[in-house]
Amino acid sequence: MGIQEQYRNEAAELLSSGAVKLVIGYGEGSTSDRRRPVFIRSADETARLVLDANCIANLSGYLVPEGLLSDGKSVAVFLKPDGIRSVNILAAEAQVNPDQVVILGFDIDGGQASPLPGRKATDFAPLIESQKSTGLSTELQQEADQLELMSATDRFEYWNQQFSKCIKCYACRQVCPMCYCRRCIVDVNQPQWVNTSSHTLGNFEWNIVRAFHLAGRCVACGGCDRACPVNIPLRLINHRMSKEALDAFDHFAGESADQKPVLATFRQDDPETFIL
Amino acid sequence: MSEPFEPKIVAFVCTYCTYAGADLAGTSRMKYASNVRIVRLPCTGRISPMFILKALQKGADGVLVSGCHPGDCHFAQGNYHARRRWTVFRALLSFTGIPEERIKFSWISAAEGAKFAELINGVTEEIRSLGPFEQYQELQKIIETQSTY
Amino acid sequence: MTRILLHTRLDDCLAAWRASGYSVLAPSKSHELTRFNEVQHASDMALDLVLPERTIKDHFFPQTEPLIRYRIKKHEIDTEEMVPPELKRIFFGVRPCDASGLAIDDPLFGWDYKDEYWFRRRGNSVIVTIACTSADDFCMCTSVQLSPDSTKGSDVMLTPLKDGRGWQVLALTDRGNALLETIPSILQESDAEPAPPASVPVKFDIDKVTAWLADPASFESHFWKEISQRCIGCASCTFLCPTCHCFDIQDEGDTYSGIRRKNWDSCSFAMFTMHTSGHNPRNTQSTRWRQRIMHKFNYYRGKFDVNSCSGCGRCTRQCPVDMGITETLQSISNLPR
Repeated sequence: MGIQEQYRNEAAELLSSGAVKLVIGYGEGSTSDRRRPVFIRSADETARLVLDANCIANLSGYLVPEGLLSDGKSVAVFLKPDGIRSVNILAAEAQVNPDQVVILGFDIDGGQASPLPGRKATDFAPLIESQKSTGLSTELQQEADQLELMSATDRFEYWNQQFSKCIKCYACRQVCPMCYCRRCIVDVNQPQWVNTSSHTLGNFEWNIVRAFHLAGRCVACGGCDRACPVNIPLRLINHRMSKEALDAFDHFAGESADQKPVLATFRQDDPETFIL
Repeated sequence: MSEPFEPKIVAFVCTYCTYAGADLAGTSRMKYASNVRIVRLPCTGRISPMFILKALQKGADGVLVSGCHPGDCHFAQGNYHARRRWTVFRALLSFTGIPEERIKFSWISAAEGAKFAELINGVTEEIRSLGPFEQYQELQKIIETQSTY
Repeated sequence: MTRILLHTRLDDCLAAWRASGYSVLAPSKSHELTRFNEVQHASDMALDLVLPERTIKDHFFPQTEPLIRYRIKKHEIDTEEMVPPELKRIFFGVRPCDASGLAIDDPLFGWDYKDEYWFRRRGNSVIVTIACTSADDFCMCTSVQLSPDSTKGSDVMLTPLKDGRGWQVLALTDRGNALLETIPSILQESDAEPAPPASVPVKFDIDKVTAWLADPASFESHFWKEISQRCIGCASCTFLCPTCHCFDIQDEGDTYSGIRRKNWDSCSFAMFTMHTSGHNPRNTQSTRWRQRIMHKFNYYRGKFDVNSCSGCGRCTRQCPVDMGITETLQSISNLPR
């Protein structure tokens, strides 16, 4: 039995037993290699579920909309390790009750989807711990290093060009499981901290603010980077923030549901070499 | 001849320590560079990174953020939280090409009037040698003229 | 015999146009993005693209533009209008869907009030379109009563030659004729055959769709909720659309002075219809998606007798969750009657 059939069966069982009211998974997309989020509410619909190496989107953001979990019933969701970490963060930030989230975990390796055993976010703790000890993506680090080698002036010019492409469609924000604010700071106009217009300065401010708000919360699922219709390498700026959180505060986002948000806690001996 | 460059520096300070330190510098009749505009806030914990961006947006060439030494916070923990935010924000600004030298952080207590005066003079000279933050100010200039198309 | 332009003469062509005071914009790749940029040489152009990622709409209705500069004084307010310059521009290598997009939006911007910002930019711009000989999975012009060789919105139509050496050239408007008069010696007479247009399968029955949308009962249909469940509410579909034209007016500045700007806005955003009271008449994503479809294929059609869609397919191509107009209209078209 392949993984897809196995997971369809599990989803069907969860639904027919009443253990969950909804399964959030992947279905066929508009082309052969595209997958789209699907919402399955009864066992006989589970044949629509697809699970293969093209299932890359982090679906945890669909858990957040207001009212979904307020009836106390559970929801099952297909998640890769990055998505499981997102659920931990959402739980730590009191956005979801982790007891209501049933995880259908899988990972993609060598062009294939493989099952990850476990049901609750806590079941995956050893996996996440091993990811932390492996460290952040070396590929991203190499890309980021290219920028770090530049002079500040050149780096500013690089981002100037990148951000000048931004159209403030907010796909990065909307696709991100961490961007659940009811009212985003860019939508606040009294006081108006960020220029709402999509000129380069406004774009600069927006992208800096979003990266800052994601510091120590981004799980590098790559959703924003893929969603960006104008191809801004958002992965790099978010990676840089993850690296800072890890290096300075030993914080690996989404380790557990008990993890304190990195900027809502402190240690008395936090590094401060830059303070005069 | 254009006028010699005088840097604009905005200092966001907490009222209990650094502002009191600045006051002490004043009452002690210490002289320091007049390039700094002080914005007083209740605590460094209240100094949002948005303030720094806003200062740059409004044409600052440099920004100073200063508060109580660790352990001295009037609200016990505000400066510890602020320190974490600064660490992250500083890395972010640097990664986007906003030079670290333009954004300074310091601890100055109410007793450190001399340190305040010295720091302001030092920062002013450093920013003066860097010159105006033209790259960022250019972004504002574009807004004030036509759209880019 | 028709007039043709050879690829090898394109640089001469650009030089002649520049000498006549035009700037030339063509699809090209800059900073990892394909869009219309000003080009100096034929080699800068990316004419093989099915479509650039960004539309030419950007150059007529920019994402943000200043309208008025204001200064508040004690007893009065000084204002200064900021009107865009009239530029002589050639858009070279536009695809028929993007060109049609301009023609679709013209009546909107010229309806009860003539939008100076749109028409000053339209005025001296010449649209040189290249008919499509290839399409991708997302193209759907034929489904909205257009075609890969549609001339709508174009001033000059170029049809690729079968032998791949250049294009057949056809002026469609006075503006197009005037443009060709600047390059008489560069064009030549030839009987070379044109390549056949791309084959773009029809994906839905537009008449069935518009009839269903026009039925008042459809407004409250469960269909909207089901089809838009995964919509995340970003604006990449609207902002990449060659016909979406909604905007917001924002004042940017401080207490004493600032600039009033016209910025793109999108019906996908929750803030789009949010009232000051906190009430939002379109308070769910499904009502917003319904608005987008209804606007394009019902309301706009009712007002201007044309669909507000030129079938470029960008909405689907770029959607982070693989939604788009095609899927929705296909589903409507397949609804049991």
